[in-house]
Amino acid sequence: MRTYILRRLLQTIPLLLGISALTFLLLQAAPGDFLNTMAENPAISGATLEQMRRNFGLDQPWYLQYFIYLKNIFLHFDFGESFSRHQPVFSVLRTGLANTLLLATAAAAVTWGLAIPLGVIAAVRQYSLADKGLSLMAFIWLSVPEVLSGLLLLFLAAKTGWFPIGGMRDLDHDYMSAWGRFADLMRHLALPAFVVGLVPLASRMRQMRGNLLDVLRLDYVTTARAKGLPESKVIYKHALRNALNPLITLFGFTLGSLVSGSFVAEYIFSWPGLGSITLEAIQTQDQYLVMGAVLMASGVLVLGNLIADLLLAVADPRIRYD
Amino acid sequence: MRHLNVFMTRSITMSTLLALIGGCSAGSKREGAYVDHLPLPADTMLTKMIEPGVYGGRFVIGATAGPKTFNSLMGNETSTTDVTQRLFSALTDIDYVTQDDIGVLAKSWETSTDGLTTTFHLRRGAAFSDGHPITSADMMFSFDVVMDPELHPSMQDGLTIDGVPATYSAPDSFTFVVHTTKADALILAHTGSVNIMPKHKLEAAYKAGQFASAYGTDTPPESLVTSGAFRVKSYVPDQQVVLARNPYWLGVDAKGQRLPYLDELVFLVAKDQNVAALKFHAGELDGLDNVKPEDYKAFTDNQQKEGFTLHDVGPSFNTNFFWFNLNRVKEAKDGRRIGEPYVSAAQYSWFSDKRFRQAMSMAVDREGIIRGPFYGFAFKNWSTMTSGNKKWFDPELTGLDYNPSEAKRLLASMGMKDTNGDGFLEDAKGRPVQFTMITNGDNKLRTDMINLVKDDLAKVGIKMIPSPLDFNTMITKVRSDFSYEAALLGLGSAVPSDPGMGQNVWKSSGLTHYWNIKQAKPETPEEARVDQLMAQNILTQDIGVRKQTWREVMQIVNDQCWLVWLPSQQMKLPVRSRFGNIQPSPMPHRILWNADRIFRKPSK
Repeated sequence: MRTYILRRLLQTIPLLLGISALTFLLLQAAPGDFLNTMAENPAISGATLEQMRRNFGLDQPWYLQYFIYLKNIFLHFDFGESFSRHQPVFSVLRTGLANTLLLATAAAAVTWGLAIPLGVIAAVRQYSLADKGLSLMAFIWLSVPEVLSGLLLLFLAAKTGWFPIGGMRDLDHDYMSAWGRFADLMRHLALPAFVVGLVPLASRMRQMRGNLLDVLRLDYVTTARAKGLPESKVIYKHALRNALNPLITLFGFTLGSLVSGSFVAEYIFSWPGLGSITLEAIQTQDQYLVMGAVLMASGVLVLGNLIADLLLAVADPRIRYD
Repeated sequence: MRHLNVFMTRSITMSTLLALIGGCSAGSKREGAYVDHLPLPADTMLTKMIEPGVYGGRFVIGATAGPKTFNSLMGNETSTTDVTQRLFSALTDIDYVTQDDIGVLAKSWETSTDGLTTTFHLRRGAAFSDGHPITSADMMFSFDVVMDPELHPSMQDGLTIDGVPATYSAPDSFTFVVHTTKADALILAHTGSVNIMPKHKLEAAYKAGQFASAYGTDTPPESLVTSGAFRVKSYVPDQQVVLARNPYWLGVDAKGQRLPYLDELVFLVAKDQNVAALKFHAGELDGLDNVKPEDYKAFTDNQQKEGFTLHDVGPSFNTNFFWFNLNRVKEAKDGRRIGEPYVSAAQYSWFSDKRFRQAMSMAVDREGIIRGPFYGFAFKNWSTMTSGNKKWFDPELTGLDYNPSEAKRLLASMGMKDTNGDGFLEDAKGRPVQFTMITNGDNKLRTDMINLVKDDLAKVGIKMIPSPLDFNTMITKVRSDFSYEAALLGLGSAVPSDPGMGQNVWKSSGLTHYWNIKQAKPETPEEARVDQLMAQNILTQDIGVRKQTWREVMQIVNDQCWLVWLPSQQMKLPVRSRFGNIQPSPMPHRILWNADRIFRKPSK
């Protein structure tokens, strides 16, 4: 197992190199550069722009810029500076990543916390009104774009005052007790987590339903029933455990998409995550910040996939990686 | 998105019927009223305001983004300068209402008779937020940074006249002298753009070549030493910045109370404009400095109920216009010869003809544009000094307004007529008169305007194809590869909003001289005359001469129709009525320019 993990980690190096090269090329192919953001300011002269271009190294040909970028990473583990913030990119991205992971984890909790029990209900009462109603609801959420559901929930918040309108903390956050701060965070987290979490709910719920139905048709379930076990024991003790197995794999794979799944919700809810920083960086062509964000997201993706594979081995004793 | 907006405004109105406003006027209850224990400096700055206020309160303003740095000399865009302008002060500032120069760190100043030397006398007892005195050594340090060729902050341009950098010296601790080789009417505006930063904290970083990254947003707030009315209390990336008073600030009110009044000034990030409006209606924000004209009505209707005032700030200082590409190849490459126009020969022959450009200006129905995308909240405008600009607006300046029959006559006089009966004109050589016009598609006002302009031009027989592009693509076309035919864009306002700040726009060598940028020497007699007038304009402090030369510049520009003017938006900004001394300005930092004077009125 250890050699397998090591091998997988080593494989990510050429992968990340490729991703970085591609991103860099695309950034260079896009028209203009970071200095374009100053175009509407009548007070900035051509000479200033030229000097800034030199200071940022943007006057060099792209392959030289990329070579210097790689050299700094390998020799000094230096991923460059954000042009607009004059700060190392990872110090800019760090808090964003933490916030995005928090939102994604909460969203995953919403998805799975709802998908499993609702899927079980739908399977146990197959073709009942509850089953059909749940499917309908789930598919409505699946088809409503995040922009709309996000705005609708914000209106709900404005109308009722139950939830804050976006953001991640109250202005008085720093004056609250530890418990108060936690409750404040949860209040801010609730709506965006709900919006992001409900999107994959439909498919997960249907999967749960299908898996459980498959298992319920197996012989050992019939045996259990024939033994005279109460139906609740048959379902929750015998059938459910086996039906959950494929979902563990699925859960592992969602880890990979954690970082990229919530960009839209982040923007609407003013959630200070990686998504908003990346979007701003792309719009202003803050080159190394974009590179850092892409590499970070790819890193999380690769790591998520690795964890998914490992989870699979843990859950299913038939799978071995040696 | 458009339908969504309409939908949103209605819902806001509905939601407010339910009166859900949870006030968030906390802030002072934890700390009790502020008591100023520190002695006032010897030379205080008596600050002009509507009425003296009282200590306490928190003012929350919506921001589209967080600051990128707290380093006032390295920050460029408004989400950064909105904050850093509260944190740092300069020798002088301007009064945003009258646009007159006022002394801040400088108590007084005099200019030598030849206009080349300005001597500033500093206020005694001025101190940074850590109590360290501010002296001419800090001016020397800050000017050294600004004039550093490696760092090259944008303020360096203003202090470099005809390629010669200004020189400066400090004869004693409280005198600072700036010397230029040529007189400059705007010397105070340029020296006043240099915010003073603490030498005792930043000299080491500067000497180590790390000034640009000093005072970044990763600096702990308590170690940021400021020279302005506020200091940083806390900062949460991309969410909020909380400023608190600088206890050593030298500004006082008429009662001798030290400013600022507010306990906290908060910048709260709401990236989406609709969400920001929602936050304002719910009471989470006290002021919003960017409202869309289509939302004005919803705001007007809710003023009483939600306890705010929608301040009519008047015409925005931001302008809108379109122009035709008259740029010609300056160095031979890609098979193009020097002097060859970037547009086709046919297009160049129309665009370079004054009659064509005049006809285009007369084809545009500006009242229709005002009624349309601006919902009636805009003004016709014929200059970069809009009618909102009390100091520089010139009512004598007008341009060629809507007159389709005259436009048709001018086009006919150029030999253009509809020979094939398709409703569009052909030129004298039978080539169909058509062109594309680019603008940035993310700006809804501009895309709406370009579509109306298209319809107006079609009415006089000109086929224009709107082409909305990504902002960066558009700027690249306009500034470096010139592969466009016509473009619709706008210009922001400088501080102060003075014609002399527009050298890059009007001089033929300028980078923002969009229709034909960076000319080696003026290509037409009119361009040469404008260059000459712009140079004269900043050579003298005599306001009469300056206004006269400016009028002449704009008369030439408007006769030539190098820019075809479009209306400017009327600005309305909502601020909670429980705050006093609110005097929003059309210039950047709209609500916040006098934040040191804003106070919460005691509840009755």
